[in-house]
Amino acid sequence: MNLDYSVVLSKLPIFLDGCLVTLEISFFALLLGMIFGIGGALCRISSNRFLSGIAFLYVWIIRGTPIMVQLFILYFGLPQLGIKMSSMTAGILGLAINTGAYVTEIIRSGIQAIEKGQTEAALSLGMKPYQAMVRIVGPQAVKVCMPPLVNQFIMTLKNSSIASLVTITELLRTGEQLIYTTFRSFEVYTVVAVLYLIMNSVFMIVAGKLEKRMERQ
Amino acid sequence: MNNIVEMQHICKKFGEVTVLKDFNLNLREGEKVVIIGPSGSGKSTVLRCINCLEPIQGGKIIFEGQELTQKTDLSALRRKIGMVFQHFNLFPHKTVLENIIEAPVIVKKTLKAEAKKLAMVLLERVGLADKCDSYPKELSGGQKQRVAIARALAMNPQIMLFDEPTSALDPELVGEVLSVMKRLAEDGMTMILVTHEMAFAKEVADRVLFMDQGVIVEEGTPKDIFENPRHKRTQVFLQRILH
Repeated sequence: MNLDYSVVLSKLPIFLDGCLVTLEISFFALLLGMIFGIGGALCRISSNRFLSGIAFLYVWIIRGTPIMVQLFILYFGLPQLGIKMSSMTAGILGLAINTGAYVTEIIRSGIQAIEKGQTEAALSLGMKPYQAMVRIVGPQAVKVCMPPLVNQFIMTLKNSSIASLVTITELLRTGEQLIYTTFRSFEVYTVVAVLYLIMNSVFMIVAGKLEKRMERQ
Repeated sequence: MNNIVEMQHICKKFGEVTVLKDFNLNLREGEKVVIIGPSGSGKSTVLRCINCLEPIQGGKIIFEGQELTQKTDLSALRRKIGMVFQHFNLFPHKTVLENIIEAPVIVKKTLKAEAKKLAMVLLERVGLADKCDSYPKELSGGQKQRVAIARALAMNPQIMLFDEPTSALDPELVGEVLSVMKRLAEDGMTMILVTHEMAFAKEVADRVLFMDQGVIVEEGTPKDIFENPRHKRTQVFLQRILH
Protein backbone atom coordinates (compact mmCIF):
# COMPACT_ATOMS: atom_id res chain seq x y z
CA MET A 1 0.00 0.00 0.00
CA ASN A 2 1.18 3.39 -0.86
CA LEU A 3 -1.01 6.02 0.73
CA ASP A 4 0.17 9.56 1.18
CA TYR A 5 -2.30 12.19 2.30
CA SER A 6 0.31 14.91 2.85
CA VAL A 7 0.22 16.11 -0.77
CA VAL A 8 -3.54 16.14 -0.78
CA LEU A 9 -3.92 17.81 2.59
CA SER A 10 -1.50 20.56 1.57
CA LYS A 11 -4.08 21.46 -1.09
CA LEU A 12 -6.84 21.78 1.48
CA PRO A 13 -7.54 25.46 0.70
CA ILE A 14 -8.31 24.43 -2.89
CA PHE A 15 -10.72 21.79 -1.61
CA LEU A 16 -12.38 24.37 0.58
CA ASP A 17 -12.87 26.62 -2.44
CA GLY A 18 -14.61 23.67 -4.07
CA CYS A 19 -16.78 23.25 -1.01
CA LEU A 20 -17.80 26.89 -1.25
CA VAL A 21 -18.90 26.44 -4.86
CA THR A 22 -20.82 23.29 -3.88
CA LEU A 23 -22.54 25.18 -1.08
CA GLU A 24 -23.31 28.06 -3.40
CA ILE A 25 -24.92 25.82 -6.03
CA SER A 26 -26.81 23.87 -3.38
CA PHE A 27 -28.03 26.97 -1.59
CA PHE A 28 -29.48 28.59 -4.69
CA ALA A 29 -30.82 25.28 -6.00
CA LEU A 30 -32.60 24.67 -2.70
CA LEU A 31 -33.95 28.19 -2.52
CA LEU A 32 -35.29 28.05 -6.07
CA GLY A 33 -36.33 24.43 -5.63
CA MET A 34 -38.42 25.36 -2.59
CA ILE A 35 -40.12 28.12 -4.57
CA PHE A 36 -40.81 25.70 -7.46
CA GLY A 37 -41.96 23.09 -4.95
CA ILE A 38 -44.35 25.33 -3.03
CA GLY A 39 -45.73 26.68 -6.28
CA GLY A 40 -45.93 23.18 -7.71
CA ALA A 41 -47.74 21.82 -4.66
CA LEU A 42 -50.29 24.64 -4.64
CA CYS A 43 -50.93 24.07 -8.35
CA ARG A 44 -51.14 20.32 -7.80
CA ILE A 45 -53.90 20.62 -5.17
CA SER A 46 -55.65 23.46 -6.98
CA SER A 47 -59.14 22.77 -8.28
CA ASN A 48 -58.02 24.44 -11.52
CA ARG A 49 -57.44 21.52 -13.87
CA PHE A 50 -54.95 23.36 -16.03
CA LEU A 51 -52.70 24.26 -13.10
CA SER A 52 -52.87 20.84 -11.50
CA GLY A 53 -52.22 19.27 -14.90
CA ILE A 54 -49.08 21.36 -15.43
CA ALA A 55 -47.81 20.45 -11.97
CA PHE A 56 -48.55 16.79 -12.59
CA LEU A 57 -46.57 16.85 -15.86
CA TYR A 58 -43.68 18.64 -14.16
CA VAL A 59 -43.38 16.06 -11.41
CA TRP A 60 -43.92 13.16 -13.78
CA ILE A 61 -41.22 14.21 -16.25
CA ILE A 62 -38.61 15.22 -13.70
CA ARG A 63 -39.05 12.20 -11.47
CA GLY A 64 -39.05 9.90 -14.47
CA THR A 65 -35.79 11.06 -16.06
CA PRO A 66 -32.21 11.05 -14.73
CA ILE A 67 -30.97 14.31 -13.31
CA MET A 68 -27.83 14.01 -15.44
CA VAL A 69 -29.91 13.93 -18.62
CA GLN A 70 -31.92 16.93 -17.42
CA LEU A 71 -28.75 18.90 -16.80
CA PHE A 72 -27.27 17.94 -20.20
CA ILE A 73 -30.44 19.05 -21.98
CA LEU A 74 -30.22 22.42 -20.20
CA TYR A 75 -26.52 23.02 -20.81
CA PHE A 76 -25.64 21.11 -24.01
CA GLY A 77 -29.06 20.74 -25.64
CA LEU A 78 -30.74 24.12 -25.32
CA PRO A 79 -27.96 26.12 -27.05
CA GLN A 80 -29.02 24.33 -30.24
CA LEU A 81 -32.38 26.10 -29.85
CA GLY A 82 -30.60 29.37 -29.26
CA ILE A 83 -30.96 29.34 -25.47
CA LYS A 84 -27.54 29.68 -23.92
CA MET A 85 -26.67 30.00 -20.28
CA SER A 86 -23.53 29.88 -18.21
CA SER A 87 -22.57 26.58 -16.67
CA MET A 88 -23.33 27.99 -13.22
CA THR A 89 -26.82 29.10 -14.26
CA ALA A 90 -27.51 25.75 -15.94
CA GLY A 91 -26.21 23.85 -12.92
CA ILE A 92 -28.27 25.76 -10.40
CA LEU A 93 -31.39 25.80 -12.57
CA GLY A 94 -31.11 22.09 -13.36
CA LEU A 95 -30.71 21.15 -9.73
CA ALA A 96 -33.52 23.53 -8.73
CA ILE A 97 -35.95 22.12 -11.27
CA ASN A 98 -35.09 18.61 -10.12
CA THR A 99 -35.38 19.46 -6.41
CA GLY A 100 -38.63 21.36 -7.05
CA ALA A 101 -40.36 18.29 -8.43
CA TYR A 102 -39.58 16.24 -5.35
CA VAL A 103 -40.44 19.13 -3.03
CA THR A 104 -43.78 19.47 -4.86
CA GLU A 105 -44.65 15.92 -3.90
CA ILE A 106 -43.42 16.34 -0.33
CA ILE A 107 -45.45 19.48 0.27
CA ARG A 108 -48.52 18.16 -1.53
CA SER A 109 -48.60 15.06 0.64
CA GLY A 110 -47.87 17.20 3.73
CA ILE A 111 -50.83 19.46 3.04
CA GLN A 112 -53.10 16.54 2.26
CA ALA A 113 -52.05 14.82 5.47
CA ILE A 114 -53.74 17.59 7.45
CA GLU A 115 -57.33 16.67 8.27
CA LYS A 116 -60.03 18.33 6.21
CA GLY A 117 -61.71 19.33 9.45
CA GLN A 118 -58.94 21.86 10.07
CA THR A 119 -59.77 23.73 6.89
CA GLU A 120 -63.48 23.43 7.59
CA ALA A 121 -63.10 24.81 11.10
CA ALA A 122 -61.07 27.74 9.76
CA LEU A 123 -63.58 28.45 6.99
CA SER A 124 -66.53 28.14 9.36
CA LEU A 125 -64.97 30.89 11.48
CA GLY A 126 -65.01 33.18 8.45
CA MET A 127 -61.43 32.77 7.28
CA LYS A 128 -60.81 33.03 3.57
CA PRO A 129 -59.32 29.93 1.93
CA TYR A 130 -55.87 31.50 1.66
CA GLN A 131 -56.00 32.49 5.35
CA ALA A 132 -56.93 28.94 6.29
CA MET A 133 -53.97 27.71 4.24
CA VAL A 134 -51.44 30.21 5.60
CA ARG A 135 -52.57 30.31 9.23
CA ILE A 136 -53.94 26.83 9.92
CA VAL A 137 -53.01 24.15 7.39
CA GLY A 138 -49.59 25.49 6.35
CA PRO A 139 -47.92 25.55 9.78
CA GLN A 140 -49.14 22.03 10.50
CA ALA A 141 -48.02 20.78 7.09
CA VAL A 142 -44.53 22.24 7.64
CA LYS A 143 -44.12 19.96 10.61
CA VAL A 144 -45.15 16.92 8.59
CA CYS A 145 -42.89 17.93 5.69
CA MET A 146 -39.75 18.57 7.73
CA PRO A 147 -38.19 15.07 7.77
CA PRO A 148 -38.68 14.36 4.04
CA LEU A 149 -37.55 17.90 3.20
CA VAL A 150 -34.32 17.45 5.14
CA ASN A 151 -33.82 14.25 3.19
CA GLN A 152 -34.38 16.06 -0.07
CA PHE A 153 -31.98 18.86 0.90
CA ILE A 154 -29.27 16.28 1.56
CA MET A 155 -29.98 14.68 -1.82
CA THR A 156 -29.68 18.06 -3.52
CA LEU A 157 -26.36 18.79 -1.87
CA LYS A 158 -25.03 15.45 -3.03
CA ASN A 159 -26.57 15.80 -6.49
CA SER A 160 -24.68 19.06 -6.88
CA SER A 161 -21.66 16.88 -7.67
CA ILE A 162 -23.31 16.20 -11.03
CA ALA A 163 -22.74 19.87 -11.84
CA SER A 164 -19.08 18.92 -12.30
CA LEU A 165 -20.17 17.36 -15.59
CA VAL A 166 -21.23 20.73 -16.97
CA THR A 167 -17.78 22.16 -16.13
CA ILE A 168 -18.59 23.79 -12.79
CA THR A 169 -15.57 23.52 -10.56
CA GLU A 170 -17.37 22.45 -7.40
CA LEU A 171 -15.94 20.05 -4.85
CA LEU A 172 -15.88 16.89 -6.98
CA ARG A 173 -14.38 18.60 -10.04
CA THR A 174 -11.84 20.36 -7.84
CA GLY A 175 -10.77 16.94 -6.64
CA GLU A 176 -10.58 15.52 -10.15
CA GLN A 177 -8.36 18.38 -11.25
CA LEU A 178 -6.04 17.69 -8.33
CA ILE A 179 -5.80 14.05 -9.40
CA TYR A 180 -4.40 15.18 -12.77
CA THR A 181 -1.47 16.81 -11.01
CA THR A 182 -0.99 14.54 -7.98
CA PHE A 183 -2.11 11.12 -9.31
CA ARG A 184 -3.53 10.42 -5.86
CA SER A 185 -7.04 9.15 -6.76
CA PHE A 186 -7.78 7.31 -3.56
CA GLU A 187 -6.62 10.07 -1.27
CA VAL A 188 -8.41 12.80 -3.24
CA TYR A 189 -11.73 10.96 -3.52
CA THR A 190 -11.76 10.02 0.15
CA VAL A 191 -11.07 13.61 1.16
CA VAL A 192 -13.88 14.71 -1.17
CA ALA A 193 -16.21 12.16 0.42
CA VAL A 194 -15.30 13.30 3.94
CA LEU A 195 -15.92 16.92 3.00
CA TYR A 196 -19.39 16.05 1.63
CA LEU A 197 -20.07 14.11 4.80
CA ILE A 198 -19.04 17.07 6.97
CA MET A 199 -21.23 19.51 5.04
CA ASN A 200 -24.22 17.20 5.22
CA SER A 201 -23.59 16.44 8.89
CA VAL A 202 -23.66 20.11 9.82
CA PHE A 203 -26.92 20.36 7.94
CA MET A 204 -28.38 17.24 9.60
CA ILE A 205 -27.49 18.54 13.06
CA VAL A 206 -29.12 21.91 12.42
CA ALA A 207 -32.20 20.20 10.96
CA GLY A 208 -32.39 17.81 13.89
CA LYS A 209 -32.34 20.72 16.35
CA LEU A 210 -35.01 22.53 14.38
CA GLU A 211 -37.24 19.45 14.35
CA LYS A 212 -36.87 19.02 18.09
CA ARG A 213 -37.82 22.63 18.67
CA MET A 214 -40.94 22.27 16.54
CA GLU A 215 -41.81 19.05 18.31
CA ARG A 216 -42.00 20.88 21.61
CA GLN A 217 -44.65 23.28 20.34
CA MET B 1 -90.23 36.81 14.94
CA ASN B 2 -88.23 36.72 11.73
CA ASN B 3 -86.85 33.66 10.09
CA ILE B 4 -83.10 33.70 10.39
CA VAL B 5 -82.57 30.72 8.10
CA GLU B 6 -84.87 29.44 5.38
CA MET B 7 -83.99 26.34 3.41
CA GLN B 8 -86.31 25.80 0.47
CA HIS B 9 -86.46 22.67 -1.68
CA ILE B 10 -82.83 21.84 -1.04
CA CYS B 11 -81.36 19.07 -3.14
CA LYS B 12 -77.90 17.84 -2.23
CA LYS B 13 -76.03 15.05 -3.95
CA PHE B 14 -72.67 13.43 -3.37
CA GLY B 15 -71.92 12.16 -6.84
CA GLU B 16 -74.88 9.96 -7.74
CA VAL B 17 -76.15 9.66 -4.19
CA THR B 18 -78.91 12.04 -3.16
CA VAL B 19 -78.40 13.08 0.46
CA LEU B 20 -81.12 15.71 0.79
CA LYS B 21 -84.34 15.52 -1.23
CA ASP B 22 -86.56 18.59 -1.47
CA PHE B 23 -85.55 19.55 2.04
CA ASN B 24 -87.30 22.48 3.75
CA LEU B 25 -86.51 24.12 7.06
CA ASN B 26 -87.35 27.50 8.54
CA LEU B 27 -85.66 28.65 11.68
CA ARG B 28 -86.86 31.63 13.69
CA GLU B 29 -84.60 33.85 15.72
CA GLY B 30 -83.98 32.34 19.15
CA GLU B 31 -85.41 28.99 18.16
CA LYS B 32 -83.72 25.75 19.16
CA VAL B 33 -84.16 22.95 16.68
CA VAL B 34 -82.86 19.45 17.27
CA ILE B 35 -82.38 17.08 14.36
CA ILE B 36 -82.39 13.37 15.09
CA GLY B 37 -82.24 10.37 12.84
CA PRO B 38 -80.18 7.36 11.85
CA SER B 39 -76.66 7.89 10.56
CA GLY B 40 -76.52 8.67 6.89
CA SER B 41 -79.91 10.37 7.01
CA GLY B 42 -78.43 13.73 6.00
CA LYS B 43 -78.56 15.51 9.38
CA SER B 44 -75.00 16.80 9.33
CA THR B 45 -75.33 17.73 5.69
CA VAL B 46 -78.18 20.11 6.57
CA LEU B 47 -75.84 22.02 8.90
CA ARG B 48 -72.98 22.00 6.42
CA CYS B 49 -75.21 23.39 3.68
CA ILE B 50 -76.29 26.33 5.83
CA ASN B 51 -72.75 27.72 6.08
CA CYS B 52 -71.87 26.63 2.56
CA LEU B 53 -69.29 24.03 3.52
CA GLU B 54 -71.25 21.89 1.06
CA PRO B 55 -72.52 23.28 -2.24
CA ILE B 56 -76.15 22.45 -3.03
CA GLN B 57 -77.45 21.18 -6.34
CA GLY B 58 -80.93 22.63 -6.08
CA GLY B 59 -83.20 24.87 -4.02
CA LYS B 60 -82.27 27.99 -2.14
CA ILE B 61 -81.00 29.04 1.24
CA ILE B 62 -81.99 32.40 2.66
CA PHE B 63 -80.01 33.78 5.58
CA GLU B 64 -81.33 36.87 7.35
CA GLY B 65 -83.53 37.63 4.35
CA GLN B 66 -80.70 37.37 1.82
CA GLU B 67 -80.63 34.51 -0.64
CA LEU B 68 -77.23 32.86 -0.83
CA THR B 69 -75.79 32.96 -4.34
CA GLN B 70 -72.47 32.55 -6.08
CA LYS B 71 -71.73 36.14 -5.17
CA THR B 72 -72.42 35.80 -1.45
CA ASP B 73 -69.42 36.81 0.65
CA LEU B 74 -68.85 33.47 2.35
CA SER B 75 -66.50 34.92 4.92
CA ALA B 76 -69.08 37.50 6.02
CA LEU B 77 -71.81 34.84 6.10
CA ARG B 78 -69.80 32.32 8.10
CA ARG B 79 -68.81 34.91 10.68
CA LYS B 80 -72.46 35.01 11.70
CA ILE B 81 -72.78 31.24 11.86
CA GLY B 82 -70.89 29.44 14.61
CA MET B 83 -70.18 25.79 14.01
CA VAL B 84 -69.16 23.08 16.45
CA PHE B 85 -67.88 19.82 15.02
CA GLN B 86 -68.09 16.24 16.23
CA HIS B 87 -64.30 15.97 16.28
CA PHE B 88 -63.71 19.47 17.74
CA ASN B 89 -61.24 20.45 14.99
CA LEU B 90 -59.24 22.65 17.34
CA PHE B 91 -56.02 23.97 15.85
CA PRO B 92 -53.37 21.71 17.41
CA HIS B 93 -50.48 24.12 16.83
CA LYS B 94 -52.13 26.89 18.82
CA THR B 95 -52.86 27.23 22.51
CA VAL B 96 -56.42 27.36 23.79
CA LEU B 97 -56.28 31.15 23.92
CA GLU B 98 -54.73 31.38 20.45
CA ASN B 99 -57.44 29.08 19.10
CA ILE B 100 -60.10 31.45 20.34
CA ILE B 101 -58.54 34.76 19.31
CA GLU B 102 -57.43 33.51 15.87
CA ALA B 103 -60.62 34.33 13.98
CA PRO B 104 -61.47 37.60 15.76
CA VAL B 105 -57.94 38.89 15.10
CA ILE B 106 -57.49 37.56 11.56
CA VAL B 107 -61.03 37.84 10.23
CA LYS B 108 -62.61 40.65 12.23
CA LYS B 109 -59.34 42.56 12.74
CA THR B 110 -60.09 42.92 16.43
CA LEU B 111 -57.13 44.21 18.44
CA LYS B 112 -55.23 41.36 20.03
CA ALA B 113 -55.60 42.69 23.57
CA GLU B 114 -59.32 43.11 23.12
CA ALA B 115 -59.71 39.65 21.58
CA LYS B 116 -57.79 38.15 24.51
CA LYS B 117 -60.07 39.85 26.99
CA LEU B 118 -63.16 38.49 25.24
CA ALA B 119 -61.55 35.05 24.99
CA MET B 120 -60.93 34.98 28.73
CA VAL B 121 -64.57 35.91 29.40
CA LEU B 122 -65.68 33.07 27.14
CA LEU B 123 -63.25 30.63 28.72
CA GLU B 124 -64.60 31.63 32.11
CA ARG B 125 -68.09 30.86 30.82
CA VAL B 126 -67.13 27.36 29.71
CA GLY B 127 -65.15 26.86 32.91
CA LEU B 128 -61.69 26.60 31.36
CA ALA B 129 -59.99 29.91 32.13
CA ASP B 130 -57.11 28.04 33.80
CA LYS B 131 -56.41 26.14 30.56
CA CYS B 132 -55.80 29.21 28.40
CA ASP B 133 -52.11 28.42 27.84
CA SER B 134 -52.57 24.69 27.28
CA TYR B 135 -52.38 23.04 23.89
CA PRO B 136 -55.40 21.05 22.67
CA LYS B 137 -53.57 17.73 23.03
CA GLU B 138 -53.33 18.38 26.77
CA LEU B 139 -57.11 18.58 27.16
CA SER B 140 -59.78 15.91 27.59
CA GLY B 141 -62.41 15.51 24.90
CA GLY B 142 -64.99 17.39 26.92
CA GLN B 143 -62.59 20.26 27.51
CA LYS B 144 -61.71 20.35 23.82
CA GLN B 145 -65.33 20.63 22.85
CA ARG B 146 -65.93 23.42 25.38
CA VAL B 147 -62.97 25.30 23.90
CA ALA B 148 -64.41 24.72 20.42
CA ILE B 149 -67.71 26.23 21.58
CA ALA B 150 -65.88 29.24 23.03
CA ARG B 151 -63.95 29.59 19.77
CA ALA B 152 -67.18 29.71 17.77
CA LEU B 153 -68.78 32.16 20.22
CA ALA B 154 -65.80 34.50 19.94
CA MET B 155 -67.08 35.59 16.53
CA ASN B 156 -70.35 36.62 18.19
CA PRO B 157 -72.49 34.53 15.82
CA GLN B 158 -76.22 34.98 15.24
CA ILE B 159 -76.76 31.25 15.22
CA MET B 160 -74.90 28.16 16.36
CA LEU B 161 -74.77 24.85 14.53
CA PHE B 162 -73.82 21.81 16.57
CA ASP B 163 -72.86 18.73 14.58
CA GLU B 164 -73.04 15.78 16.99
CA PRO B 165 -70.96 17.67 19.56
CA THR B 166 -70.96 14.87 22.12
CA SER B 167 -70.74 11.82 19.88
CA ALA B 168 -66.96 11.52 20.09
CA LEU B 169 -66.85 11.92 23.86
CA ASP B 170 -66.46 9.38 26.62
CA PRO B 171 -69.85 9.07 28.37
CA GLU B 172 -68.65 10.73 31.57
CA LEU B 173 -67.58 13.83 29.64
CA VAL B 174 -70.87 14.41 27.83
CA GLY B 175 -72.51 16.24 30.73
CA GLU B 176 -70.02 19.11 30.92
CA VAL B 177 -70.51 19.90 27.24
CA LEU B 178 -74.27 19.68 27.41
CA SER B 179 -74.41 22.00 30.37
CA VAL B 180 -72.45 24.63 28.44
CA MET B 181 -74.88 24.24 25.57
CA LYS B 182 -77.83 24.47 27.89
CA ARG B 183 -76.61 27.78 29.28
CA LEU B 184 -76.20 29.01 25.74
CA ALA B 185 -79.77 27.97 24.93
CA GLU B 186 -81.05 29.73 28.04
CA ASP B 187 -79.25 32.89 26.97
CA GLY B 188 -81.43 32.89 23.87
CA MET B 189 -78.99 31.67 21.21
CA THR B 190 -80.55 30.39 18.00
CA MET B 191 -79.38 26.82 17.64
CA ILE B 192 -79.59 23.83 15.37
CA LEU B 193 -78.34 20.69 17.02
CA VAL B 194 -77.72 17.31 15.50
CA THR B 195 -77.49 14.83 18.35
CA HIS B 196 -78.30 11.44 19.78
CA GLU B 197 -78.77 12.90 23.28
CA MET B 198 -82.52 12.50 23.49
CA ALA B 199 -82.84 13.66 27.09
CA PHE B 200 -81.07 16.88 26.21
CA ALA B 201 -83.22 17.31 23.10
CA LYS B 202 -86.36 16.95 25.22
CA GLU B 203 -85.09 19.56 27.61
CA VAL B 204 -83.95 22.37 25.30
CA ALA B 205 -85.60 21.86 21.91
CA ASP B 206 -88.49 24.01 20.73
CA ARG B 207 -88.85 21.67 17.80
CA VAL B 208 -87.52 18.23 16.94
CA LEU B 209 -87.05 16.98 13.38
CA PHE B 210 -86.75 13.31 12.65
CA MET B 211 -84.86 12.74 9.41
CA ASP B 212 -84.40 9.60 7.41
CA GLN B 213 -82.95 9.14 3.92
CA GLY B 214 -82.65 12.83 3.19
CA VAL B 215 -86.14 13.95 4.13
CA ILE B 216 -87.90 15.12 7.26
CA VAL B 217 -90.15 12.23 8.19
CA GLU B 218 -91.77 13.93 11.13
CA GLU B 219 -91.43 17.13 13.09
CA GLY B 220 -93.02 18.60 16.17
CA THR B 221 -92.46 19.54 19.77
CA PRO B 222 -90.25 17.21 21.80
CA LYS B 223 -93.42 15.92 23.44
CA ASP B 224 -95.00 15.06 20.08
CA ILE B 225 -91.96 13.30 18.76
CA PHE B 226 -90.77 11.47 21.82
CA GLU B 227 -94.10 10.53 23.37
CA ASN B 228 -96.43 10.20 20.42
CA PRO B 229 -94.38 9.56 17.30
CA ARG B 230 -96.82 9.09 14.44
CA HIS B 231 -94.59 7.50 11.85
CA LYS B 232 -93.45 3.93 11.97
CA ARG B 233 -89.88 4.91 11.12
CA THR B 234 -89.74 7.39 13.98
CA GLN B 235 -91.09 4.82 16.38
CA VAL B 236 -88.56 2.20 15.30
CA PHE B 237 -85.69 4.66 15.54
CA LEU B 238 -86.67 5.92 18.98
CA GLN B 239 -87.18 2.44 20.28
CA ARG B 240 -83.73 1.45 19.10
CA ILE B 241 -82.03 4.50 20.58
CA LEU B 242 -83.88 4.71 23.89
CA HIS B 243 -83.47 1.10 24.82
